[in-house]
Amino acid sequence: MKTLRFTAAALALLVGGAALAAEPVTIHFWAAWSPGTPEETRSRARIRAYEQAHPDVKIDVQVITYQMLHDKLLTAIRGGDAPDLSWGLSEWFGELRQMDALLDLTPLAARWPDRDSIRPNVIQALTVKGKLLALPQYLGIRALVYHENQLKQAGVAAPPVTWDELVADARKVKAATGKPGFAIAGAGVRAPQELVAYLAQNDVLIAREMPDGKFKNTWATDKAELARAAEVYAFYRSVLDKGVIPAEAAGWGWQEEDTNFALGQYAMVIDGPWMENLAEQNPAPMADARVAPPPYKKRPATFFEISPLYLYKATKHAKETWEFAAYILSKEWQTEIRPNNSPRADVMGSPIWGKGFTDLAPTGVVFPPVALGQITKSMEDSIGRALLKNEDPAKVAAWLGDAINRELRRSGQLSAR
Amino acid sequence: MRLERPARIRRNSLLFVAPAGALVLLLVALPLLRVIWDSFHFVNLVNPEQAGWAGLENYRTVLDDEEFAPAVVRTVWWTALSVVGEYLLGLVSALALARKVRGRAVFRAILTVPWIVPIVVAGLTWTWMLTPDYGVVNAWLQASGIARHPHHWLGQTETALLAVTFVNVWRSFPFYTISLLAGLQTVPRELYEAAAIDGAGALGRFWHITLPHLRGISLTLVVMHCIWTAINFDFIWVMTEGGPLNASQTLPVLVYRYALQQFDVGAASVVAVFMMLFMAGLVALRLALGRPARAEA
Amino acid sequence: MVERPSSRRLTAVLTYAVLLGFAAYCLVPFLWMVDTAIKPTPEIRSTHPTFLIEHPTLAHFARVIFDTSFLVFFRNSLIVALGSTVATMILAVFAAYAMSRWGRYPAVRAVGGALLISQMIPGVLLLVPLYMLMLDLGLLSSYAALIITYTTFMLPICVFLLKSFFDTIPLELEDAAEIDGCSRLGIIFRVVLPLSLPGLVTTWTFAFIGAWNEFMFGYVLVNTDARRTLTPGILLFKGLYATDWGSLMAAAVLAVLPVAVLFLYLQRFLIKGLASGAVKG
Repeated sequence: MKTLRFTAAALALLVGGAALAAEPVTIHFWAAWSPGTPEETRSRARIRAYEQAHPDVKIDVQVITYQMLHDKLLTAIRGGDAPDLSWGLSEWFGELRQMDALLDLTPLAARWPDRDSIRPNVIQALTVKGKLLALPQYLGIRALVYHENQLKQAGVAAPPVTWDELVADARKVKAATGKPGFAIAGAGVRAPQELVAYLAQNDVLIAREMPDGKFKNTWATDKAELARAAEVYAFYRSVLDKGVIPAEAAGWGWQEEDTNFALGQYAMVIDGPWMENLAEQNPAPMADARVAPPPYKKRPATFFEISPLYLYKATKHAKETWEFAAYILSKEWQTEIRPNNSPRADVMGSPIWGKGFTDLAPTGVVFPPVALGQITKSMEDSIGRALLKNEDPAKVAAWLGDAINRELRRSGQLSAR
Repeated sequence: MRLERPARIRRNSLLFVAPAGALVLLLVALPLLRVIWDSFHFVNLVNPEQAGWAGLENYRTVLDDEEFAPAVVRTVWWTALSVVGEYLLGLVSALALARKVRGRAVFRAILTVPWIVPIVVAGLTWTWMLTPDYGVVNAWLQASGIARHPHHWLGQTETALLAVTFVNVWRSFPFYTISLLAGLQTVPRELYEAAAIDGAGALGRFWHITLPHLRGISLTLVVMHCIWTAINFDFIWVMTEGGPLNASQTLPVLVYRYALQQFDVGAASVVAVFMMLFMAGLVALRLALGRPARAEA
Repeated sequence: MVERPSSRRLTAVLTYAVLLGFAAYCLVPFLWMVDTAIKPTPEIRSTHPTFLIEHPTLAHFARVIFDTSFLVFFRNSLIVALGSTVATMILAVFAAYAMSRWGRYPAVRAVGGALLISQMIPGVLLLVPLYMLMLDLGLLSSYAALIITYTTFMLPICVFLLKSFFDTIPLELEDAAEIDGCSRLGIIFRVVLPLSLPGLVTTWTFAFIGAWNEFMFGYVLVNTDARRTLTPGILLFKGLYATDWGSLMAAAVLAVLPVAVLFLYLQRFLIKGLASGAVKG
């Protein structure tokens, strides 16, 4: 009788223990890849392979576009149903950090064998006060991507180097092919990214760090900088007025910008290494796509995007989430899915789609390391004011300067100087 | 122990309406009170530490916001144009459906279709039809010579709100059709016959018999729809998200933007309070115009 | 009508013309929607769009059904719509009965008035407090949040609709049943409900379509795909697919299908509901 009871108890413990051990951990992963692309197919295949290799882990993927991802993330974090990890934009880093929503990865990364394979400046950019708060998922340096044949047809031998050359070449393309020579993204998440690069190309910063450690937009006091900012809006205005860009581009998001370029609807665009994905999907129109440094006005500059993988503090499975994130940064994943824009130093890309972009890293600019909040929306609106409302460029620049400072004040980051 | 009949009925009546009443209390009345409360406090959706009495600070923030007054104006335009368009289309289609023509039931069913479709789908379909690139509306306008080049209806600040209004009218007019049709069908034939004998033409009969008979229904319809249109979020959000450059931002979109993008619940509540006052005003107007609260069509 | 034969023919032609015009105005967008959904992408991107399709394809439908969470959204909408309509009907039947038979009692008048007023409260005013309520209750991204919300919003209309149907059932039938010893519940289930079946169907259809089509609260109260309903899901697709109109229209067609089917069978009831002035009050 006693042995029977003992055996029963032992069995129960075993079964119970096995059940607990076999309970799969579900990792919630919010991604922003484009549906139906090779990137999605490969990523999903790799995720399935990972699940098979780790039977106690299940990855629940939710695909949502960047634009909506931001709002949904913030409300989810507040509402207590944030994912375990997600894609994100570098623009959100300051904000998420200020909300104390990010998991401190320093202890986990300390024992990470791959740590030394990641480019050091990229890890540095995501480290604040000694704490690593996000992982770099891919690099999105922007370059001038152009259809070589369309330029040749217009008699343009080499891609433009300055803004003036860009405008002139684009008009030649329009005259020769009937299609616009260039495009911008006037709406959505890419608009502020393009704007910050154009401003940098004219030696303008949207906010500077002040001696007291806080930030401020200096256009109101630095008249020369304000004038240069106004020149940028005048540039936006001129590309619309002179037919350099299609009229609808003022309302284009990144999807319209990329898709229309991939279909050969216009000749030149400032874009990133993911265009290779579109080249795979549209081989014929993209066969003549080439890469060159973006044109500039005062100094060469480009948007240096370090697209992070955010891991959230509220996760209940930090270890499994980290392991999955580390897998995304592993050599296998990066070589297959991100050959051309990997943060890993040991993954080299092809001459056009890899080196053509990474060579531009020295001229890369980033957003100031503050919680941007509504600043990106104000930047997007400023482009709208210049293009849709036809406001005077100097007024638009002044308006944006004010809006930036207002937002900095609201989030407590405005310098007193 | 059986209660006396009246007492039993009183108990039953309480029991029967209690669940419904409780739901309305908890999910409508209390939240409304909370909205008024929040409008006087600092409330941040993602930062619970930002709290405290704000007095009229939120009201000042909203009234100082350069987006507020335009949003009010746009809401009025959007409501007025929508309701006028819906009423006209509803009246014309109701008059047509009132005639005893063959296949009337089929037409009536077809005309009701836009109304039952989810707003999201209606908005999406029309957005597709209105795109400048491959949209069919622009193609037809160009082919018929009305327009020389494609127009970016939803992307230009001047036309965005008008385009969304147009789609709203398309989707909502069937409601008017059916209601007005029901009203038309209660007009006694003898009135028309008597008027005809007296020499009144078709237009005269319409003006002096039909319209007055529809006065009651029309008033109710128009007031209800003014309220419903003014507070409509779905259409505008789906088609333009209030853009481009806030050109189609009405008050509901502003509430959403304050609360769920800027996370300023206090400001959102202020706008909601203003809207409540506006609603109450409309209802008071309707009551004052002499229409009883509940009547048969 | 009182007209001469020739003018009668003229008005008939005019009437048909108007009705045909309206029919086209109402139907063409749907036809175009379906047309785009079965057109291959190169033909969609044509500068001379036409209804004719050279190579019809089901690829867009396949992509939406198999490569996305569409079926999950569909299932969620079904669960939420059925759940909320059942709850609404139960609550509404009792409340409407009370308002119809015992309308003078204070409790009934109070709730009736409350329902009347709440019918005019716009959802957007309640957006933020309901969001915070669900947040505090931990119900965000749950079926319960939507079911409770939709039930509350559909209640007034359903109560008034049912009341007007109940009003048409003669009291003598109930009195007879009562004399026979029937309890109140018995009266309701054995006398009133069977007689008001058309009214019940009308009300249920109204509530179902309202719940199915609801967008704003579905968009705000649910953040995860696992509980997301169809209408916010479509907006999600709009962002994801952006320029892929074939897939977007396929998703739209699929989203409309249940409502269209329901409509086909129940349009008499629906129109009757609309016409009985469900929204006066």
